[in-house]
Amino acid sequence: MSERTRTRTQVADVDRSLYDFTYSEEGYERYDDGLTPDIVRAISEKKDEPAWMLEMRLKALDTYHAKEMAPNWGPSIAGLDMDHISTYVSPRTKQAKDWDDVPDDIKNTFERLGIPEAERESLAGVGAQYDSEIVYHNMRDEVAKEGVVYTTIEDALHDPEWEPVVRKYFGTLIPPADHKFAALHYAVWSGGSFVYVPAGVTVEYPLQSYFRLNAEGAGQFEHTLIIVEEGADLHFIEGCSAPKYYEANLHAGAVELFVKDKARLRYSTIENWSKNMYNLNTKRARVGADAQMEWVSGSFGSHVSYLYPTTILQGDRSNCEFSGITFAGATQDLDTGCKVILNGAETTASVDTKSISKDGGCNTFRSSIVVGRHAANARASVSCQSLMLDDISRSDTIPAMDVRNATASVGHEATIGRISDDTILYLMSRGCSESEARTMVVGGFANPVSKELPLEYAVEMNNLIKLEMEGAIG
Amino acid sequence: MMPEHTIALERVNTPPAQTWNYLRANDISLMVPSRSRKGDVYFALPRLFGGVECGMGPQVTTWIESQSTDAQYVEVPAGQIRTEPIVASMDTGVMVRAGATATIVVCQDTKDAISQESAPLTSASLVRIIAERNAHVRVFEFVTATDVNQHVESVGIVAGKDAHIEVRQFFLGTQTSAAGLVCALDGNRSRLDLTCRYLARDTDTLDINHVVRQRGRLTRSEVHESGVLDGKAKKSLRATIDLIHGSSGSEGTELETVLMLSDDVTNKTMPVILCDEDDVAGNHGASIGTVAPEQIQYLRDRGLTHEEAEQLYVRALFDEALICAPNSAARDAVLRRATEVLGATVANDLIEGLGLSSLEEG
Amino acid sequence: MQDQLLRVSGLSAGTEDKPILQDVDLTVGAGQTHVLMGPNGAGKSTLGHVVMGDPTYIVSAGSIVFDGKDITEDSADKRSLAGIFLSYQAPVEVPGVPLYSYLRTITQKRPELKMTARKFRSRVGDIADQLDMNSSFLTRELNVGFSGGEKKKIEMLQLLLLQPKLAILDETDSGLDVDALSVVSRGIEAYRQDCDGALLIITHNTRILERLSVDRTHVMVQGRMVAEGPASLIDEIDAHGFEQFEHTGGEQQ
Repeated sequence: MSERTRTRTQVADVDRSLYDFTYSEEGYERYDDGLTPDIVRAISEKKDEPAWMLEMRLKALDTYHAKEMAPNWGPSIAGLDMDHISTYVSPRTKQAKDWDDVPDDIKNTFERLGIPEAERESLAGVGAQYDSEIVYHNMRDEVAKEGVVYTTIEDALHDPEWEPVVRKYFGTLIPPADHKFAALHYAVWSGGSFVYVPAGVTVEYPLQSYFRLNAEGAGQFEHTLIIVEEGADLHFIEGCSAPKYYEANLHAGAVELFVKDKARLRYSTIENWSKNMYNLNTKRARVGADAQMEWVSGSFGSHVSYLYPTTILQGDRSNCEFSGITFAGATQDLDTGCKVILNGAETTASVDTKSISKDGGCNTFRSSIVVGRHAANARASVSCQSLMLDDISRSDTIPAMDVRNATASVGHEATIGRISDDTILYLMSRGCSESEARTMVVGGFANPVSKELPLEYAVEMNNLIKLEMEGAIG
Repeated sequence: MMPEHTIALERVNTPPAQTWNYLRANDISLMVPSRSRKGDVYFALPRLFGGVECGMGPQVTTWIESQSTDAQYVEVPAGQIRTEPIVASMDTGVMVRAGATATIVVCQDTKDAISQESAPLTSASLVRIIAERNAHVRVFEFVTATDVNQHVESVGIVAGKDAHIEVRQFFLGTQTSAAGLVCALDGNRSRLDLTCRYLARDTDTLDINHVVRQRGRLTRSEVHESGVLDGKAKKSLRATIDLIHGSSGSEGTELETVLMLSDDVTNKTMPVILCDEDDVAGNHGASIGTVAPEQIQYLRDRGLTHEEAEQLYVRALFDEALICAPNSAARDAVLRRATEVLGATVANDLIEGLGLSSLEEG
Repeated sequence: MQDQLLRVSGLSAGTEDKPILQDVDLTVGAGQTHVLMGPNGAGKSTLGHVVMGDPTYIVSAGSIVFDGKDITEDSADKRSLAGIFLSYQAPVEVPGVPLYSYLRTITQKRPELKMTARKFRSRVGDIADQLDMNSSFLTRELNVGFSGGEKKKIEMLQLLLLQPKLAILDETDSGLDVDALSVVSRGIEAYRQDCDGALLIITHNTRILERLSVDRTHVMVQGRMVAEGPASLIDEIDAHGFEQFEHTGGEQQ
């Protein structure tokens, strides 16, 4: 491609430094690398937790050591050495309700990521986590007046009104024994969000939590617990990013979502962890009768990902919609997808995913649709499209379906292919450069997912695509 | 401690890429009888067949080889059009030379079934086929017997340049059946057409593993599975299209249609596409459920009750199996099973209808 | 009267949310050819489906008598066995069922068509020839992957095989191409010749009727029968369209 054509592409508008900057962690409280009961106790003590929580942590630590990763599937995590990961790094600052009270380097980080601006413009509340602790948390007064609670789990545990609620739900949807990294999560979890939306309340604007991992060789283990009571409605957005290091980082968060009867929850994620991140995140929702769960998930970052948001459609006539896009570039091995369990009668699920592989990146779409014996007239459809941008990348599709009710109907379709030469030629004949044409086609491919996102995030996602497409041809 | 005359085939019939183990969809484990062959000298196939990947995996290959009293090697010379079907035995290797045409029938043979007191009565077939360039190979598989408890069938096919492989599988009986097939489309422009029809009812367990390795350039695979599940039957199908680096211009399509007639059945389907080549197209489709209301209505408009409409699908399986049966052994086997499932009247009608063979091929 | 094969009287029917047919009367004598015309959305197809017993529609008033027997409450399969045949505009695809198995099964349900499987094969072969059909169709799945014209052939094949007393051909909006049109015409011709059955042709494509001797023409507008007349009514409609009927409020000419 000639210089002239390349300069015409819109790719140049995007600043790679948007995500890739660091601040010194000098003066931070950083716990020793590795995993010992002492470290777990230290984290618990620092948080001044109830005894049951410490007990849960220690038990989970045992489970973590006892469990193995499945040997017969999934990307390798051989590069992850827990002896060289610090599970707790904390900036020496108190949680603030005003950005002016946040230390300058951290505030600058979030300013550059556009969080305070988004908060002013279109959010009902924001939580911002920096390494292991939440540094900023705030919600609009009018939302608080409706009885909506948006805080950290740590704060909720210190509140006599909310401690029993946390205790009732915490760790029930994703049990610590679920898998090895769920156990790790429960042993060392820190930060995250607690959201409670009372019955019948519609939160007009989204709440957003942003997770930033600044420290090198560290882990982030935030826990998100959201309870949307009967007939309530919430849109929650989660963003994550980290600067690039050469040492492995680990993210093993847990998201537990309780969507009660007739309620609706939309959970959107734009994940752009740096490419030294092992992202072993677990997300799960339990959905009541006539309720709706919507997932929008964009995965761009990480070195290795294991990510399969799970929806349990327990109540009759409950519904799940999942839209996801995964973009795997050089050095990335992203194993993503979702699971839906249809237990209630007349439950419906629709899964629509896209994946793009380039520069030797490795994409695996993995899903499971399970229709239980009692799910009369359940309907599920899965559509999965993969785009290969070159012949050194990889794209695998591994869906599984387990159907046990004859009145259910499950459909699945998957396609893998590349951008057709005809399409490129057509666009080039109308004056686009080859790279513009490709960016345009990839953007169009991603569009069904990006249009599910709030405008600013759709813009962010399109920028990420342009960024990733830069130099895609040569 | 397991008795000596029983062997556990652990986690066999696996696909190249697996998924969550708790779904129990990756594999099947079987207890099989094992008669001692100590001191026996028996024929093995030419070493070259050792390199043919078989659907149920190496554990099963080793077991069947050890249990077979003989290995049958058949060669179809270059350019020969062999019309008489090759009947596979328990361990068979077929070499179809360049430009030759051959038909291979794998019809479950229960006379050879292996019996040991502590394990289910088991029949088995291991078939390995090498199709050289321009060869045309048709493979017919019939699993219909109910006088054994268990059947194990492992097939491996390698296709050379421009070779055309057609496989028709009918899994219509045997309480526990496990069948795996790998077809390696190694040669450029080689092609596989695989159709698989199955019926599982009562407490049947059916476990199928289909793998197409597309290595050559411009290869084509068309894999179509469909079947009927009734009673408390359990069925798993793993179907993998592997578009390997270098297979540019290749296309693979796999489609499954599952008809569930009872709420007690369990259907597992795992359609996998693996791809590390960009200039390819891979497609999968699966449709699982009961007969669509508009289909039922169409059939009712033509005079069938709801139950009759559902049973039509079962009859259709046998009709097709009979039309395909290339020799009398296969035909008799299908007919025996048809009589058990559909009753003598319908079975007679099926076979009589075949009398006019002029209508079968267009 | 014995020669009244089908008598629809005072029939009102519709879906759960919406009434479609209102107080419809229609009589077709044995062996007669009737044409039902009307603008789009008049309810012509609905009438065909209601006569066949499509459970999508609920009959709220009136009766359908076929061959001297009230069939208003009968299910579609019973009506089919009694001798009613409805050809679909867009025949449903039934994967997993080869055409042969299907044809054999639906014929065996009818005692009057009892024949050995061997004879059946040759009979199907003859009809296929008559319709210029490739007999390899028989091993293909019912209507799956067939072109529009081929699907029509399969419908006509069933019509000729089952020899119903009344064939309702729903060709309302099928936008038949030349190919399909000639298939349908040929099927109708053969049916008239071989079976001497009655026909109710639902269409607004008059070309299909060119080679037929039509006994009666019915016009339906907004779910009501607004006109009935001899074959010449077709030419009138051809020339002037349906506007003339749209305000007649159900009066007969």
